[in-house]
Amino acid sequence: MAPYPGSDADYFRDKARRDLLNLLEGVRGKKNLAVSQDLAGPVGLFVKFSLLQEYGVDRVFLLENGNVDSSQRNVVFLAHAEKIRQVRAVAEQIQRLQRNGNVEHELSIFWVPRRTLVSNSILEEAGIIGDVNIAELPLYFVPLEQDVLSLELEDAFSDLYLQKDPGSIFHSAKALMDIQQRHGYFPRIIGKGDHARRLADLLLRMRKELDAEESSGLAGLSARGLLPSASTESLIIIDRQVDFGSALLTQLTYEGLIDETVGIKNNQADVDTSIVGPTAVPQAQESSKAPQQSSKQGQKRKVQLDSSDQLFSQLRDANFAIVGDILNKVARRLETDYESRHSAKSTTELREFVNKLPAYQLEHQSLRVHTNLAEEIMRTTRSDIFRKILEVQQNNAAGSDATYYHEAVEELIARDVPLKTILRLLCLESCMSGGLRPRDLESFKRQIVQAYGHQHLLTFWALEKMELLQPRSSATTMLLPTTGGAQPGSKTNYAYLRKNLRLVVEEVSEKDPSDVAYVYSGFAPLSIRLVQCVLQKPYILSLIRGGPTTTSTPIPATVSSPGWLGFEDVVKSARGATFSIVQKGDDKAIRARQTISGNNTIKTVYVFFLGGITFTEIAALRFIAAQEAPRRKIVICTTGMINGDRMMEGAIEKGSFAKFE
Amino acid sequence: MAPSNPLANWERLGDSFYRKVPIYDAIFEEDVELENYIIAGAPYGGAIALHRDESKPYRFRDAHTAKSSIDIYSCSGKHINRLNWEFGTIRGLGWSDKEELLVITEDGTVRRYFGLYGDFTSFSLGHGAEDYGVRACRFWTSGFVALLANNQLVAVSNYDEPRPKLLAPCPEGEVSSWSLIPPAYTLSRSVEVLLAVDKTVYLVDPTEAEDKVLQNGPFKHASVSPTGRFVALITAEGTVWVVSSDFQSKYSEYDPESRVTPRTVDWCGDDAVVIAWEDEVHLIGPNGVAARYYYDGTVHVVPEFDGVRLITNDTCEFLHKVVDVTEAIFRLGSTSPASVLLDSIDLLEKKSPKADENIQRIRPSLPEAVDTCVKAAGHEFDPQWQKRLLKAASFGKSVLDLYNSDEFVEMTEKLRVLKAVREYQIGLPLSYEQYMRLTPERLIERLVNRREYLLAIRISEFLELPADRIYVHWASQKVKVSAVDDDAVCKLIVQRLEGKPGISFELIAQAAYDEGRAHLATQLLNHEPRAGKQVPLLLEMEEDEIALDKAIESGDADLVNYVLLHLKTKLPLASFFRTINTRPVASALVETTARGQDTELLKDLFYQDDRPIDGSNVLLSEALEATELPRKTEKLQLASRLLSDSKDPTVVLQQKLLSEASQLLKIQEVLDKDLADRSEFLGLSLNDTVYRLIRSGYGKRAQKMQSEFRMPEKTFWWLRLRALVAKRDWGELEEIGKNKKSPIGWEPFYNEILGAGNTKLASLFVPKCTNLPAEEKMEMWVKCGMVAKAGEEAFRAKDVNALELLHTRASGPAAAEIDRMINQLRPRK
Repeated sequence: MAPYPGSDADYFRDKARRDLLNLLEGVRGKKNLAVSQDLAGPVGLFVKFSLLQEYGVDRVFLLENGNVDSSQRNVVFLAHAEKIRQVRAVAEQIQRLQRNGNVEHELSIFWVPRRTLVSNSILEEAGIIGDVNIAELPLYFVPLEQDVLSLELEDAFSDLYLQKDPGSIFHSAKALMDIQQRHGYFPRIIGKGDHARRLADLLLRMRKELDAEESSGLAGLSARGLLPSASTESLIIIDRQVDFGSALLTQLTYEGLIDETVGIKNNQADVDTSIVGPTAVPQAQESSKAPQQSSKQGQKRKVQLDSSDQLFSQLRDANFAIVGDILNKVARRLETDYESRHSAKSTTELREFVNKLPAYQLEHQSLRVHTNLAEEIMRTTRSDIFRKILEVQQNNAAGSDATYYHEAVEELIARDVPLKTILRLLCLESCMSGGLRPRDLESFKRQIVQAYGHQHLLTFWALEKMELLQPRSSATTMLLPTTGGAQPGSKTNYAYLRKNLRLVVEEVSEKDPSDVAYVYSGFAPLSIRLVQCVLQKPYILSLIRGGPTTTSTPIPATVSSPGWLGFEDVVKSARGATFSIVQKGDDKAIRARQTISGNNTIKTVYVFFLGGITFTEIAALRFIAAQEAPRRKIVICTTGMINGDRMMEGAIEKGSFAKFE
Repeated sequence: MAPSNPLANWERLGDSFYRKVPIYDAIFEEDVELENYIIAGAPYGGAIALHRDESKPYRFRDAHTAKSSIDIYSCSGKHINRLNWEFGTIRGLGWSDKEELLVITEDGTVRRYFGLYGDFTSFSLGHGAEDYGVRACRFWTSGFVALLANNQLVAVSNYDEPRPKLLAPCPEGEVSSWSLIPPAYTLSRSVEVLLAVDKTVYLVDPTEAEDKVLQNGPFKHASVSPTGRFVALITAEGTVWVVSSDFQSKYSEYDPESRVTPRTVDWCGDDAVVIAWEDEVHLIGPNGVAARYYYDGTVHVVPEFDGVRLITNDTCEFLHKVVDVTEAIFRLGSTSPASVLLDSIDLLEKKSPKADENIQRIRPSLPEAVDTCVKAAGHEFDPQWQKRLLKAASFGKSVLDLYNSDEFVEMTEKLRVLKAVREYQIGLPLSYEQYMRLTPERLIERLVNRREYLLAIRISEFLELPADRIYVHWASQKVKVSAVDDDAVCKLIVQRLEGKPGISFELIAQAAYDEGRAHLATQLLNHEPRAGKQVPLLLEMEEDEIALDKAIESGDADLVNYVLLHLKTKLPLASFFRTINTRPVASALVETTARGQDTELLKDLFYQDDRPIDGSNVLLSEALEATELPRKTEKLQLASRLLSDSKDPTVVLQQKLLSEASQLLKIQEVLDKDLADRSEFLGLSLNDTVYRLIRSGYGKRAQKMQSEFRMPEKTFWWLRLRALVAKRDWGELEEIGKNKKSPIGWEPFYNEILGAGNTKLASLFVPKCTNLPAEEKMEMWVKCGMVAKAGEEAFRAKDVNALELLHTRASGPAAAEIDRMINQLRPRK
């Protein structure tokens, strides 16, 4: 039914590419491109540098470096108009170019995702609005994978929870409107969390506004968007705030661990060449943009991590414990495949082998990269410190008395373990057990500022503001399972949920998992359990009733009970608003649509993680998607990728008392 | 009445025919002396602007007419509006294809009139236009180029956000004539200008002026064809040349046999040139063939992309090339199937059997014949002939078994629309081609601009196009002109527009506000469903708080920021804070924006809000940013002082730690002075300072700091261990090992020292780890390479299996030793 046959991922990738190239084409001749840092990566996801070159881009600069030169008459800026800092940076660059260039520049700005009123006033203030050509690049969802759409908003987490800036909610709403305009309205919006509620309200509001505009012909003549979609089942919005805890744990899938140890950004990891070898896989090199970096940093190499690498797609969502096995198996298979050349007798067989050779080589290369990477990760995971950290985490997650482990944390502080790691542990404890005892918190504060510098007083303040690290107040000490305290939903009650949603599954097998808990080796992320409460009710029910988890494939839901039905009370113990909204359309039209499309189609569920998602959660959602494959398709949407370290980075004060020379 | 002969006004020109269709008569009143006027006609049969040519003498009649003005007429001569002109000499008068009138005065001011009724915006050309003066202007559909008196060219290519741009500097000399190629048809995608200077022609684009090296100048006229492919030039001798726009080939030459230079040179479509004198028009086709038309009075030529409109006092005519389909049907002696089909209509009406014969004869090509008739109907201006052609088509398709009638139906719809707007009361003489290019939406816009609301609504209903803009325009006009009180107007408008989808009340409210009816504007705004749309207007109306609330309601942070930016500059600080205080989203955004940009504002905000910790944190950030030490400590003290009144334990701790920070800085300064040449300690954390002191061998000082800052014993031990290992100070470590007890146990000593590679020293610590199980201790010994010692451990634990395992790893004397122990343990047989 969709006007464009491909998946959402393809559609958004093509659209973004087309939009950007069209804009570039509009600037005649060769041009220099200045991209803001947080856009360079996402742009690299859908367009290769060589293609940009075809469209006349001569050199690419990073806006933040402030070194755009006058080598070309045309200069194009690509920046976020909603980030005031970037707008100011663009204005400064332009003023600089105008001041000291003896060339008269032809300046263009492509604002992402739209031209804003504030950007106008800033440019006006700078007195340059008359000298630049301004266009918009409506870049919202960037596909990371076929089933993952991300807004790639790096700062979304700290914006939302630290600065309390609702900008990314609006941004998300716009992006989701794109999906709605493509497929029709989400028949149902289910969500958890206060920000999620706000997002849903915005969606409803925008729909109303669109209705008003659509009939006026401003939004094109298509009236099809007015209907609830026939191909979509629902949208599930999970506010990160509901479950900070899970994200603070160390991710234990392969991809998650790469993210924890090396860091994955825009599907790429910067890995030391001593680990993966200096020669880049040609494929990876091609798709890695930003040429000015490749030459300089000899020590780091960008490794492309996406489904184009077959081996990686096998490994990524597996628990790290079994990655070694898989690698061994693949290595052995490759070996035998390769040895088959000796058994090749006829020339046709030989030719067949030669034809397959490039594929072998590619696979071989990727095998080598991943084996080395896995070994490197293994080195970390075997270390004394890593094991200590994990132990503290697992015990926190399992709900044992955290004060028991304070000594271990103190030791880690004295051993100068990175601050992020320490803070993650403390925040984890605070989230899981409703805050730290004030006395403990004070002592940790003192030790941490002494160990890492007094500037981190600001860090603590930020963490408190984000409600990640708080003293246990008298109101929250009484986190009794059933009553839920005086104001239910002001905090996520892990103690209660751990029991009632079976967050801890000790007996989960890492090799042949029967539950999503495998991603944290025995702890099921609350966020995912919530999604399961909507999608896999019978399974969760059987889990809670304590029935043996042998029913790995859940009984198909005969009665589809929509929304939170059946779990309203349980879900109340998680923080924030709970809602399930039905978007109604014209009844007649719906029925007509249903008859057209039939009822047995596989419908899509969009799961939107507001504030970021971890790789482990993606793995868990994929695990669910595989179980649900005969009935529905799951598309994961998010504001960006996140992990505990990145959550901390938003809060950690970067300045220090040392003088910088 | 029999229809006029369709061939009546045909003129053969080479291989093709041109025809001149009379559209309207009695255009202007007698006293409009056309010869004294500059005329500019909007494209697509649009309005005509008349301005008296001030270089010519005119008859004085009364004071009223003596005033300078621009008069706007429809093509049928209906006077639409008069713009009184008192802004200086007009150097350019032209239209955009949105039917906006552009008037450029000598001093470089550009006025853009939209909507035909005198609403305008203006901007200045800049680039020295004020100093040199504008000499002339040339227009294309969405922009224009002005020629300044110093031969500079200034181009404006977008009226919504006009950005006058200088083209490349051109050579000195007298510009005898000039013309432009619209950006759509140039390689550079920018407008290019042909400038006839002296004997040659220059092609000027934004980067360079290229000399085309011609000898026959000075050219008195230059004109580029609508598609930019050809150029018509009039040479010094008065002959007309048609050359390609790259000046590489010459297509045709024509001698008009007249001494007088023609007044205008224009293109009639892409194939013929029209040159006009006062009362004579020559139509020049390929290879120098020409047709001549003579008039009694002055004739003005208004070019269109598919022909020209010829306007005299009495008539408005459209001269264009006869299209192929029309030619195929009407040409004398034509035997084309379509022509035969048309004939059979006559026969049919006479009930002659030959009608059927004809049909059978053209049977194989009947579908094309029908198509041709449908198309030809479109190009016909006379409804009689349109009907006849459609009838023929209808007859033809009735004979066919299968025919897709969509085009036929569409054509009837289009013709209905065309007929309606061609009526002289409306006066939009669109040709079929023009209508296709203009699009129905823009046609409706033009009708709205003429305030022909009823017709516009009818057409939009007929074509199923959205009509909201028509309603909005109507309502805006209503607001402007109606004299009744606000409530009544609002009620009237709301009543009329009720249930109409997509109405933008914001635009109507804007109109009301511009008219000075603020109350009405607020009333109207309440009916606007889109919160975001209301905000800018509300700000303009100084309804600040409502604007802020609406902005927050819309969820669009940009809008909120915009309002805040506006309010911050406008309101006194205190009331600004009061406004945002009650709105958490707003104050959060103010905080975010101010952070790192306007810390003073932040401090004030936190002070007013009574948030001492926040305020103190701002100072702490400032302390971090400060480069000089005294400044840092000063800020720290300020930060600490802000917190001094509070009894809250968190605040007390915060304050304590702040003073600790300054204390640390002070000590570090001393350390730097005493121990290091340059700043080495300053800014380090306490732990790092202690670590570095021990590493550099200042254990005493380190100890002093530990006690001064009450550092936990364990932490100190860890730091000392790590620092000494890093220093490779094995002696000192051994010394420490002589202690009885360690608060962190001895295992870390073993681990760290082993990690540094000193197995011998590490092994010293194994026996001290008394509370470890035997297996682990064995492993520890083995790691130090002391298998025998491990054996002893196993022996003590009486673990034969472990011993046997160790045996495999041992060699030399150690193996013998283990053997011995195994034997000792094994019960003798």
